[in-house]
Amino acid sequence: MKKVLEAKNLNKYFHIPVDFHVLKDINLTVRSGEFSAIVGPSGSGKSTLLYVLSSLDREYEGDVFFGDVELKTLSNKKLAHLRNKSIGFIFQFHYLLADFTSLDNVMLPGLKLGDLTHEELEEKAMQKLDLLGIADQASKRVNRLSGGQQQRVSIARALINEPQIIFCDEPTGNLDSKNARIVYDMLKNLTREFDQTILMVTHDDSYLSEIDRQIKLLDGKILDRQT
Amino acid sequence: MNRFPILKIVITHLISRKRQTIVSMLGVTFGITVFIFQAGVITGLQDFFIEKTINATAHIQIYQDKNQKSPPVLLSIYDEEETWVSVPNIKSKNELPKLKRGLQIVEILESYPEVTGVSPSLSTQAIFKIGVADVSGIINGVNIRKENQLFDLEEDMVSGSIIRLETVNNGIILGSGLAESMGTMLNDNITVVSPGGVALQMKVVGILDTGLRELDNSRAYSSIRNSQKLMDVTGNYITNINIKLEDVEQSGVLAREFQSRFGYTAEDWKDANEGIFSVFRIQNIVTYLVIISILLVSGFGIFNILSMMIYEKMNDIAILKSIGYTDVDIRNVFLLEALIIGFLGGLLGLVIGFVISWITSIIPTNIEGFVSSEYLSINFDPLFYLLAFLFGLVATGIAGYLPAKKASKIDPINIIRSQ
Repeated sequence: MKKVLEAKNLNKYFHIPVDFHVLKDINLTVRSGEFSAIVGPSGSGKSTLLYVLSSLDREYEGDVFFGDVELKTLSNKKLAHLRNKSIGFIFQFHYLLADFTSLDNVMLPGLKLGDLTHEELEEKAMQKLDLLGIADQASKRVNRLSGGQQQRVSIARALINEPQIIFCDEPTGNLDSKNARIVYDMLKNLTREFDQTILMVTHDDSYLSEIDRQIKLLDGKILDRQT
Repeated sequence: MNRFPILKIVITHLISRKRQTIVSMLGVTFGITVFIFQAGVITGLQDFFIEKTINATAHIQIYQDKNQKSPPVLLSIYDEEETWVSVPNIKSKNELPKLKRGLQIVEILESYPEVTGVSPSLSTQAIFKIGVADVSGIINGVNIRKENQLFDLEEDMVSGSIIRLETVNNGIILGSGLAESMGTMLNDNITVVSPGGVALQMKVVGILDTGLRELDNSRAYSSIRNSQKLMDVTGNYITNINIKLEDVEQSGVLAREFQSRFGYTAEDWKDANEGIFSVFRIQNIVTYLVIISILLVSGFGIFNILSMMIYEKMNDIAILKSIGYTDVDIRNVFLLEALIIGFLGGLLGLVIGFVISWITSIIPTNIEGFVSSEYLSINFDPLFYLLAFLFGLVATGIAGYLPAKKASKIDPINIIRSQ
């Protein structure tokens, strides 16, 4: 299967408040269509690894290849384009624009990409909302929605530009078990039905059996690799 | 295609923060309103005054300066070097202020293409008497048609008519203030006495109100012939030549040319009114300082509100960046918000400024002073409106650019990690 993401000899240090070696010699490959999860106790560096892999954090040593390009070589503008076109984000705190409706939030990355007309984009955004079962909430402002609904809006937003990979940072961390179940099922559905590549950080091990691949992290090192 | 992906964000931000948007808009509105109103009133008054003065004074006036002292005649005899000549108490020669060949000069002046009107005149001080009342003033002997061509006297007549100066023998036109202080009315007979002691019976054929108080209080017009009689001089005696030009701005250059060509003093209207123009200059500086400080204050208002907004919108900025909006997009979002605030606020300011100016211009104020006028004359020059608007946009643009630039530098990872 095609490589989507590859980290080579990745090291990362924090200097504030004290020098700290967070990620130690990480070598990792994510292939197309995989549903993988980075797991580990808190403080193991899972989120830090995700931020580095997902281009948000570019202060690292070593190489991170997205497709063929190393992230550090990209200009801010090219990086923005990469995030826009090829990467979807789902965060723990759903990070939606509070003043906008669900539909507008989903459309925002598409507006930036500008490949579709406004009408086509709106139709596509509605399809994504429908896929996630919240089409009826489309015209509501997102701060009127429940936590589970908001997280589904952010999944729809992550999908709108059909990214090569979606990064999820504790996507269920802020949800009750029922909503967490729904969100999980939806993510799984995306990988099964639409062959969507997903890399997720989680400490919630109740659903790990359903995930293709677990990347166990302890004290900044990958413990066990099943590739 | 979506050419403006940020427009949606800008509009949503502005609408969802209505109060902030309106407050900062009103800051600009207030600045522009004051700009329009103050500039309109001040320059309106100035223009009114200049127009009145230009109308009432010649662009160039040629006369003989009696106070010019003649050099001592001894100088022509003892002209070697190393010779000192000292003559104390030199007195001017007792020369009449006559312009020799005055009427020929008039003809020459009329042949200049830049000159639109030439009016020869002679003026003398006189005492105007009716019964026991007497008032001193200045009587101008003029060719009334030519004088009218220069100064539009007909416009300013409150009663009588200028042409009766030609038809009525011994006719006289009085300034309104002069007539009032004597208590004369149209068709009254008055006596005019010159400094030389010549007395003349004259009939009031018109009353003139130019709006310039000083003139209205002292000036009277008669025919050249009658003034010559008063001064006891011959038929080609004139003391002044008033000239109007096609282009007022040329007055300085032409005045110098006439002075050297005819040998008499030629004064242009700016020299004659120098005092007023220096007052205007100071007035303008003060006006612009006030306007600039108001716009500066509204600029700071916008700067503050946008800076606050950026702190509030840290999350939004992080999200937008994580979903692919560039630094430039983020900068443009906030810059555009500032410019829209400036644009709408400015537009509103123009409208309110115009309305206030217009209302002021139709309320009778009856100013009595240097210049008298029933209404405040306000300048509605579109250039001010354009200038005020551009100034407002530039001020908000600069005020918006700094916080916008700061917003564009925000690194999303710092926001996301801190949650």
